[in-house]
Amino acid sequence: MRGAERAALVAPLALFALPLALALLLALVQASDASAWRALLADPQLPRALALSVSAALLSTTLALCACLAIVTHLHGTLLWQRMSRALAPMLALPHAAFAIGLALLVMPAGLLARLFAPLAGWTAPPDWPTVNDPNGIGLTLVLFGKELPFLLWNAVALLNRPDVALSVKGWLASGATLGYRHSAVWWRVLWPLLLPRLAWPLVAVLAYSLTVVDLALIVGPASPPTLAVLAWQGLQDGNVVRNGEGAAAALLLGIVLVLVVAVSALAYRAASRAWLQVALNGSRHARGLGAAAATRALWRGLLAVYGVVALLLVASSCVGVWSFPSLWPQAWASEAWSQVLGSSAVLGLSAGLAAFAALAALALVLCWFEATPSSWDAPVMPLVLAPLVIPSLLLMTGLYTLALRLALDGTLLGLAWAHTLVTLPYVFVALAPAWRSFDRRYEWTALALGRSRWAFWWRIKLPLLGAPLAAALAVGFAVSVAQYLPTQFIGAGRYASVTTEAVTLASGGQRHTAAAFAVMQGLLPVIGFAIAAWVGRRQRARVD
Amino acid sequence: MTLQLEKVTIAVHGRTLIRDLSASVAPGQVLAVMGASGSGKSSLMAWIAGTLEPPFEATGSLRLDGTELSALPIQQRRIGLLFQDDLLFPHLSVLGNLLFALATGERAQRLTAAEAALAEAGLAGFGPRLPGALSGGQRSRVSLLRALLAKPAALLLDEPFSKLDTALRDQMRQFTFATLAARRVPALLVTHDAADVPAGAQRIQLDDHA
Repeated sequence: MRGAERAALVAPLALFALPLALALLLALVQASDASAWRALLADPQLPRALALSVSAALLSTTLALCACLAIVTHLHGTLLWQRMSRALAPMLALPHAAFAIGLALLVMPAGLLARLFAPLAGWTAPPDWPTVNDPNGIGLTLVLFGKELPFLLWNAVALLNRPDVALSVKGWLASGATLGYRHSAVWWRVLWPLLLPRLAWPLVAVLAYSLTVVDLALIVGPASPPTLAVLAWQGLQDGNVVRNGEGAAAALLLGIVLVLVVAVSALAYRAASRAWLQVALNGSRHARGLGAAAATRALWRGLLAVYGVVALLLVASSCVGVWSFPSLWPQAWASEAWSQVLGSSAVLGLSAGLAAFAALAALALVLCWFEATPSSWDAPVMPLVLAPLVIPSLLLMTGLYTLALRLALDGTLLGLAWAHTLVTLPYVFVALAPAWRSFDRRYEWTALALGRSRWAFWWRIKLPLLGAPLAAALAVGFAVSVAQYLPTQFIGAGRYASVTTEAVTLASGGQRHTAAAFAVMQGLLPVIGFAIAAWVGRRQRARVD
Repeated sequence: MTLQLEKVTIAVHGRTLIRDLSASVAPGQVLAVMGASGSGKSSLMAWIAGTLEPPFEATGSLRLDGTELSALPIQQRRIGLLFQDDLLFPHLSVLGNLLFALATGERAQRLTAAEAALAEAGLAGFGPRLPGALSGGQRSRVSLLRALLAKPAALLLDEPFSKLDTALRDQMRQFTFATLAARRVPALLVTHDAADVPAGAQRIQLDDHA
């Protein structure tokens, strides 16, 4: 390794790996206090809160996984597959909180669904539906399912688009067909047993997110008792030291639950896959056919429609003045919500500035890593890179906050920017790695053999050629940062407001119109980022193809 | 300039691919290295270019007119590379590709040199085009021109004709070796195909390790 490469390695290690490890250590120390655990275990809300968290996470993840497997099985290779692949990016760009606010506007007692059914049901007042903030967390489960499914599908599409995988899948499907199996039978009997383990990381990330999510639970989750994540969050926000310790212990408990669930799932998967092998090899050519395919297409179209309606409802609701039940159309439009949003220039500026900084800083660290190490080093460090995705964010933020306190970075812009960079980096890494790592090294050798410096090659050849994936990775990083709630609240120590913290606070406070306006902004910022990335990509393709 | 290899040994994971290889290539001459896949010919090429990486290990001497090169980084060796693919930078025009290879200096002079090279190769007026708009043969010629404009002291050719169709392959062989002879550049050619080797070239057959 050359001196320059060694120097380049220092940045990601010092600014990402080390703080992450320290934060985790500090969180574990803080959460291991015996009195904190006594306080937590004595809390009468604990059993119900824990059950709510686990049930919402397990149910939403299981449903999303089943739906993902069914959709891929029945849509892969059809015309709808391409359309679905294109639709996933905008769906993912809609932040969780914005989706939750929009979905609440759809299903709440005075929501669009109730208004549609009102003439049939004869309702003159909103029905007594516990669809939002319901005590059993069903609304939360549905919102999580709605956001997890596109994420899992996106991972599956990325896997299946890899040239080596695409070629193998095509071959296996053809071989299966010549042996008399339907494509769906080949998927269930051969392909999924092979491919499912490769979706393990995204699944763990989804499970970790669902188990520990705070902002969604505040918007649509149960209130009394809340989920364990919200309980932990309330404790960590409390000035009381005992409550604070209880919050840290609850965050650690969520981490322990996650490890247990993952371990049990892995064991169950191993046992089930042995049993499944017997079924897969039984030689039966029978498979669920047209009915299952039609149901899957309907499921996908339904999800797409929900996203479309959610986006429209957010925009409409942000402009509503008077909209009495059961009218389908508002009686009066108003611009107050937007006046408030546009008047909050500091909030918009902070969100956009923070996201731009975090995306650029994460990109710089990731590039340092890529340029200083061979691609074979990626696999061993992947668990560390993905740590912010799979470690419960509450636990991580507890440690990061303690670290920020010791470094006097709490409540500062620098601390905030650094925290956003840490949580943004894994996404930028995952988004950029395939393109950067598969770049043909012979271009570099050719350029150097022409007598040019490494810098000239990097600046004139590599960066322009990788412009599209770089822009896409930046857009992903930008979107991830905009959607962050916990890092802004924790490390910003309540001194800074972003569009996400504003949207969540307003939505959980019942101010739905202004919340909708902030949610639209929350969705609009990433869309602008992705639009710029798409423009860069098109420009590059037009030049290179 | 004369390219000299002396007692070159290349091994991977303790297995010796090439042992004590010595050769000398005079200006304008071609040394053809032939052998089956896995015989070490690409590793030899990579070592000469300065791109051989672990787990490969190499010892021996590489000299150009007596100057030892084996410890120098690739960009200081003045050894040009041509691969199976033309590896033109797809986002740069033909002229941009050629200018990238030219040493820094007065832009007007560099432009004149690049355009003169294009005209000499029968590609006058092709400067503004992107590589994607060229035929396979045109791309190969531009790739060779680009390598030569950097004024290499020697050139390495790694199966440079293997992806061309039969008719084009003959044309490119003639064009390449005539150009190298005219510019008195010593060249090392790695190939599977005996037809690639020009008349009068030295040949080295590497052992099959399979």
